[in-house]
Order: sequence, then C-alpha cells, then structure tokens
Amino acid sequence: MPQLQPMKNTDYPLGYWQKVTLSIWLIALVILPFADIEIVNFDPFLELSLMTQGLMAPDFFATEYLFQAIIQTVNFAIIGVCLGLILGAPLALIYQHPIVSGCCSFLRAIHEIFWALLFLQVFGLSPMTGILAIAIPFAATFARVFHDIINQSSDRPLESIDSRADIISRYTYGKIAQVLPQLMAYTRYRFECALRSSAVLGFIGMPTLGFYMETAFKQGNYNEGAALLMIFVAIIGTIRYWCPPKLLGVYLVIACVTLVEIPAVDSSLLVRFISQDILPPAFANAASFAEVQWYSLYTWFSDIITGQAIPGAIATITLALLALAATHFITLNAHALASKHLCPVPLTWLGQLMLLIGRCVPEYILAFIFLMLLGPSMLPAIIALAIHNGCVIAYLAVRQNNAIAPQQMQISKFNQFNYHIMPSIYPNIMALMFYRFEIIVRETAVFGILGIMTLGFYIDSSFSEIRYSNALVLITCTALLNVVIDIFSRRLLKLPQTSLASC
Amino acid sequence: MITIDNLNLHYDKTSSYNTGKNIGKKKASTQVIFDLSLTINEGEKVAIIGPSGAGKSSLLHHLYGSLQGRAALCSQRQGLVDNLSIYHNVFMGALARHHWLYNLINLIKPFKQNLNDITALCQQLELDQPLEKKVDKLSGGQRQRVALARALYQQQEIFIGDEPFSALDPLMTSRLLETVLAQHNSVIMVMHDRELAMTAFDRVIALDKGRLVLDSKQQSINLQQITQLFQTSAVA
Amino acid sequence: MNTLIKLIALCALTISLLVSSNASATTFTFTAIPDEDESQLRTRFEKVALYLEQKLGVKVKYVPVKSYSAAVTAFRNNQVQLAWFGGLSGVQARRLVPGSQAIAQGYEDQFFKSYFIAHHSTNLTMTDSFPDINQKTFTFGSKGSTSGRLMPQYYIEQYLQKKPQQAFKRVGFSGDHSRTIAQVQSGVYQVGAVNYKVWETALARGKIDTNKVSVIWETPAYPDYQWTIRAGVDTEFGKGFADKVQAVLLNMNDPELLNSFPRSSFVNATNKDFEPVLTVAKKIGLID
Repeated sequence: MPQLQPMKNTDYPLGYWQKVTLSIWLIALVILPFADIEIVNFDPFLELSLMTQGLMAPDFFATEYLFQAIIQTVNFAIIGVCLGLILGAPLALIYQHPIVSGCCSFLRAIHEIFWALLFLQVFGLSPMTGILAIAIPFAATFARVFHDIINQSSDRPLESIDSRADIISRYTYGKIAQVLPQLMAYTRYRFECALRSSAVLGFIGMPTLGFYMETAFKQGNYNEGAALLMIFVAIIGTIRYWCPPKLLGVYLVIACVTLVEIPAVDSSLLVRFISQDILPPAFANAASFAEVQWYSLYTWFSDIITGQAIPGAIATITLALLALAATHFITLNAHALASKHLCPVPLTWLGQLMLLIGRCVPEYILAFIFLMLLGPSMLPAIIALAIHNGCVIAYLAVRQNNAIAPQQMQISKFNQFNYHIMPSIYPNIMALMFYRFEIIVRETAVFGILGIMTLGFYIDSSFSEIRYSNALVLITCTALLNVVIDIFSRRLLKLPQTSLASC
Repeated sequence: MITIDNLNLHYDKTSSYNTGKNIGKKKASTQVIFDLSLTINEGEKVAIIGPSGAGKSSLLHHLYGSLQGRAALCSQRQGLVDNLSIYHNVFMGALARHHWLYNLINLIKPFKQNLNDITALCQQLELDQPLEKKVDKLSGGQRQRVALARALYQQQEIFIGDEPFSALDPLMTSRLLETVLAQHNSVIMVMHDRELAMTAFDRVIALDKGRLVLDSKQQSINLQQITQLFQTSAVA
Repeated sequence: MNTLIKLIALCALTISLLVSSNASATTFTFTAIPDEDESQLRTRFEKVALYLEQKLGVKVKYVPVKSYSAAVTAFRNNQVQLAWFGGLSGVQARRLVPGSQAIAQGYEDQFFKSYFIAHHSTNLTMTDSFPDINQKTFTFGSKGSTSGRLMPQYYIEQYLQKKPQQAFKRVGFSGDHSRTIAQVQSGVYQVGAVNYKVWETALARGKIDTNKVSVIWETPAYPDYQWTIRAGVDTEFGKGFADKVQAVLLNMNDPELLNSFPRSSFVNATNKDFEPVLTVAKKIGLID
C-alpha cells in the first residue's frame, strides 16, 4: 500500500464574525476571575417557594388604583414617544454633524431613571418629570436610528427631482417616503420600549405600574407582584391589537386628556436647581466668586473621581462585558427555540411567549429575584441583563429569520437551521448585540439602585444624600463613559450600518 | 443651447455619478468620455445611439447637470419611490412649482387639481392603473411609464431621456415618443431603436468607446453605417 | 448650522412656555412613608387626609412617594407642606427649608432603636456588648433610613473604628426593612440592621423563622419619625395654622388612622429633639 502523502496544512482563516464572537468570550473569560460572581445563599428555598406560590396564585385585586396605574403607564409612554419623535426626527436630518451626534449620544447615555431624578428636582412628582425622562433619551435614539435608516435609502429618486424644488419637498418625497415603513416599524418598537421605561419610572415614584410592582416585590407580596407582572406582559404582548398605528393620534389625545393633572411649574425651582443645587459645594457656599476655595473644590472633585467614579466605572464595564457574553449565549438559545425553521410550530409559540416574558419583565425585577436566590454579587445583574437583552435580540432576530424562505434542499431542519438560517441571520444578531451593548451599559445603572456597586449605585447614593452636584458629576461621567464606548466599539468593529435599522 | 468642448468624463467607482472634475486624479476611476465636443441648439431633437458601454448615459447625465433647472430627466434607473403611489411618484415632477407646505399636505391628502392633471397624463401614456396603487406592484413597462409621466409632469422645455421606452412594445414606443416630442421644445434622448432614432429625430449622434463617431449634422449618415458601427464594436 | 440654531431656539421657547411662574398651593398637601407595610398607601392615607380636612377646614391631599429623598424634595419644592419623615430625612428637610418645624412624633419614636440581626450560620447570639461582626457580609435598609442605615452605621463606626466598607466583607442596601429581614433569613447576607418595630410586627405575624435569623444586638435609643411642617404655612393658610395642625395631630386617636403609621399615639416634638440625629449624620459624613 502506497504511503499517503501527508496533507498540506490547509489554512482556513477565521471569518470576521467568528473572530468577533471569540473575542467577546475571550474578554469575558479574562475578566471573570476579577469579577465578583460569588454565590452566597444558604436558604434560597424559602424565598423561592414564596415566589412560586405567588406566581401560582396571582392576586389581581391587591393593588389600589390599578386601572389608573395602567392608564398612566400607557399615557407616559404615548406622550413620551410622540414628544421624542417631534424632537428627534428633525435631529435625524442633521445627525451627521459631529456636535449633534455627540450631544445625542450624551443624552442617550443617561438612563431614564436618572433623567427622572433630575427632573424631579425641578418639576416634582409631576407627569412632566416622567414624560421628559422618556422623551429626551428617546429623541436622541430616534435621531440616531432614523438617521441610519434614512441613510440606507437610495439617492436615485433625488436625481430626477427638479433641483429647483425646495429641500423639504425633495427630502420628504425623494428620501423619507422610501423608508417610511421602516421608520414606522421602528417607532412601534420604541413604543414598546417606552411602555417598559414608563413602568420602570414607577420605581422612583411616578404613578405607573412600576410604583406598585416595586412595593409588592420589596415587601414580599409576591401574589400582588406576580399579578402586576402578568398584567404588564399582557399589555406589551397585545400592543398590536389595542394600538394600531392609525389609532395613535386618537390615543395621544386620550392620553393628554386623562393624564394626571400637571401642577404649575415653579420657575424659581429651575433657577435654584441650576444656580445652586448642581454647583459644587465650594461654589454654592461662597458668597462671591473671589471667595471660592479652589483647593476644596479640587479635593471635592478628586474625591468623587477616585472614590466613586473610577471604581464605579470599572464595575460598570466589568458587569457590562460579562453581561454581553451572557447575552450572546441567551440570544442564540432563545432564538433557536422560537424559530419556526427549527422547532415545530406549537413549540415556537411557547418560545415566543418566553421571549415576550423575558423582554417585558423589567431587569430590576429580574435582578431582584435572582438576588434572593443567588446572593448579592454581580451574578444576578449579569443574568438579569442577559435574559432581558437576549430576549429582545432574539425577538428581533426571529422576526427577521421568519421572513427567510427555507431552502429547497433535502436536509434536516437542524442542518438547514445551522447552514442556511444561522449564517444569514448571524451578522444581524451580532450587530444588534453591539447596539444593545450601549443599552447594557446604560442599564447597569439600574442595578446600582439594587446595591451593585456600579456608577448607578453612587449616583443613587448622591441623590438620597441630597448631593445633586455629586450626582451630576457622576451622571456626566456615566454619559462620557458611554460616549467613549460607543465611539470605541464603532471604530473597532466598523459595524455594518445596514442591520441597525431593525433594532 | 449648450456647447461642450473637449469633455473628458470619468466613472467613479465609489459614487454612482460621473464626475467631470477630478480628471486623471483618482486611480479608482476609469475614463468613459474622451475629448468630446458637441453643440446642441435650441429646438433640436437629438437622438444618441451607440453600443452599450459607449458612454451614452454618462454624457446624458453630464448634459442634464449642465442644463439644471431647464431640463426634465427620465433616467434609465427610473428612481421611483416604491412606497409611494403612482400619483405621488408622478407628482414629484411638480415639487418645484409648489411651496413645501403644499407638497407635504399633498402627501397626506392629494389635491383635486393635481389628481385631474395626473389622471389625464396617465391616460395619455396609456397607463390604466388606479392612481393610488403603489409602484412596486407595477410591471416593468408600467413603471417606465410612471417615470416618463413624472418627467413630463415637470413641464420643462427640454426633455432628457435615457432609453425611456426600452420596456415597451414598438407601437406604443412610437406613440409615446410622439407625445414627448410634441410637448418639448428640445429633446435629447438615448435611443435603443436605431431605425426609430433615424426617422423620428432631427439629428442623430453616435458614440463608441467614449468618442463621438457620427453626427448627422456634420455628415449624412444612413442605417448601414450605424449597423456597421455596432458590429465592429461587438467584435471588439 | 442655521437649522440647528432655529431648533435650539424652538426648544428654549417650548420650555419657557411650560415653565410658568410661581406655583400656588391652595390645598394643604402632605406625604408619609410608613416604616412598615407600604402597600395600599393611598387608600390608607387618604383616610388620614379626610381626618385632617375635617379638623382643619381646608382641602387636604395625600401624595404617595417612593423614597425619603423624594419626600424631602417634595417638601423643599413646596409640593407638600407637611410630611411624616424619618429622623434623618426630617433633619435634611428642615435644613433645606429654614424655619420648618418638627411638630409631633410617634410615642415610640422618642426612644426608637435598631436591631442587628444575624443568620444562624454565623453562630452569633444576643449580647449586650457590640457583637463581633468583623468581615461578615452586612446589609443596611434603605440608604436614607435612620433606623436601617444612619444609626447602625454610626454604631458600627464607633465600635469597629472602621467604615462599613472596610469592616465588612460585603455591604448591601436592601432598600427596605422587610427586605433586610428576608435577606438575612435566607442567608443572602449574614448580618443586617433593621427597624425594631418592623421586626416585632413581622415576628408577631409569624413571618420570621427564629431558627434561621435572630436578634444579636440592639442599639441605644434615639429619636426617629416625626411630623414636620413647612415654614410659611401660617401666611399661606392663616395665622396659627401650624399650631392647629399640631393640635390635630396630637389629638389623633382613632386606632385605624394611627395604624397606618403605625404608632400608638403622637406626642409633642421640637426641632431640638432631633439634634442627636444631625450630629450623627455629620459624624458619618451623610450631611456636610
């Protein structure tokens, strides 16, 4: 028998997305030893059984003014989204300007809760606080995504339009009309997000579902909490039945009418907030500019940076990177489960329901539940972020991949899924994931309120100690961190613009 | 009306436009028009013919660019907006005649006057489709007529067309060509059909490999010459 | 660029329209966060509002809030004129609105205390001296709470001579007294600090498994919850209004109303009673 020639070393270089995937997991593995993911819990079963009991017997009548809370949740979301559209859509047209995009990414980087905490000082517990807290970050998001979507439209219709026509007419007919369906679809998706944000604002006192949800979970009234969660999931799951785009205008009018009354705004509060509250103590205490103690200003600032901002930022980034890897894991599994290309149809319904629940339950509540089960490390936050974001991405990916026609080949569903569906959808999933990374960083803030030492923890502390100037410095740090991450990840990955449209 | 002198055009790979400016500077671009000189007078109806890749479209877009504001373009690429109805696509021709607010309102609720005008125009172009139909639901020939209607609706004195009838049958082509010629003072059109170009236009120019090879104004040309031109080009 | 300027101008205009001058408060508004059982807040406290309305002869409204800091903000912004504050939040509020007065406190609040509770696995038991909780995991209640945070932290710093972050292996803020009990009971944290009244009530209701969690130390007494009335109510609602409110609160003896707080009765209080709280808050750096 002739000796077989040893095969030449066949080189098969890693593909782009393989490299990206590998590096996500590599980074996660490298920082894992430094992260605090210890499981410390001796008796999780007592709390677990209480939660299960609550889930089994939800009490829909335990919440006072439940109907009002539902109405206000929807109202804040509708008005917030509309205001966000009014502010954000024009910005999309000038988004290429670096100042505009910089400002937008700064505004986006601040979590709704912190916007609300800031506005709380000026407007008090007024609906204005909630609406603006939704509208401002949403406007910035609309500006960016609308800009991306409009950029994808073709320039050809513009060629044939008379150049003497004014720019508004040319732009609406030649560019925006092309992508109107995408813009509408995205707005609808954001409406879902706004409902979530609106509920989350309840955690800090807005009269939405979150107000009662937080109380119920905090006090261990799991029957009430489970009922509120179910109501909330049902509201989001049925958006398309109760809020078709045509009725949005009608709903907006209803929302404005049924909104809780807006107390008159005291302009002196705004003046005080700007001229006093947010000034560093060295300025606020000094009678004149000459009396400012520059040294105390310096120590104040450096204490915040070294004592809070830097440790907070490190924890934030660690948490976000680990959550990114975990999100990747959850996305792939959840996506497979709900894909009609892999699973039989009845099973995909179950998968869809899971995705719905996963993306509706606020991360705060998820983290809260896991905190009781796993102990107070970063682990509950990682799991909560991964479940929430994984389900959002998987939901969007399933929507895309159900549109792919199955290949006319005699291969098993499993092979078809791996060789046809996954390769076509994977770049989109990854692009969505990196888009969500910005959101993950933002959302780590919420866990600060739960006691995980991210930047959000220190911001929350500053607010509860009534040190608004500290809070403002830390919020600015958070926003800058996000802007840097945004620039960095875009540069590093040169993300394909095309797939962002659907997220 | 327009005179071009020693024109050199480059096809830039990064953009869809032909640029006449950065001659010889960009390495990624290939030259499509070489030292072309041409004068077109007011009132002339000019047909441009030539094998594919001869630089006809590039020349046409250059002419359109130089005649900005006076000419209506019916491009080969059509540039229809798929999400809009026939009505709105045709109305795009009239954007310059109205205030932007008028145009925006018209996008939501079409004005009666425009509806009547566009209905008449579509009838003229034998486009018997409901005006509210989205253009992505139309056939190739129907789409071409929507693009043609939009160019006509601009009501300019000069019409620039890049094979605007390529998807239509010969009989309809000659009927519509008649309409176009009748409604415009000057017409510059890239034609696919050589015989029709010879019979219906005052002047025929032929391009080959980016150079002007025949001009009926300078010399009398016949169909044979043209056929020969296309054959040699096909061999090469 | 021109478009940008126009946009900014438009936004500024909108905001200036929204921000109309001075707020008026014709109704007397109050807020309260009870230290235990925050469910059904509005239903319970609207009864208190009704009581005050009948006795005071002005329109009274209750505003539910989520946290002590939100209550302080509302008080400072004149969105509430009367508030049932914790010891610390009361001190903060009165510092921010000079001239505001503490007018009543719960009977129990004159000698309030916190319990340190521990999971059975720590093998810590009730002692009179400060327990050895070095390098354990520890949870406070809410960040702005007097009984769940301020006083426990003060005693920790007194006895251990370290900041909690250095003294313990892990420090948490459960956000709520009931949560603190649940977390220590399930072993999420080894030790916690809790409002004694919340502990006693939970114990009486059988919600605590004493085999798993028990009290290991109690703090010395300190003043806690109190009613604080805003400076300037006399000009807004008539001379002597603050005194009238005080009298009405002290005379509140309907058990149903008192149970909302929950206190057995209200007794007289002055700003001076809460000076120990202010001193402690300054010592641990919560107030500059």
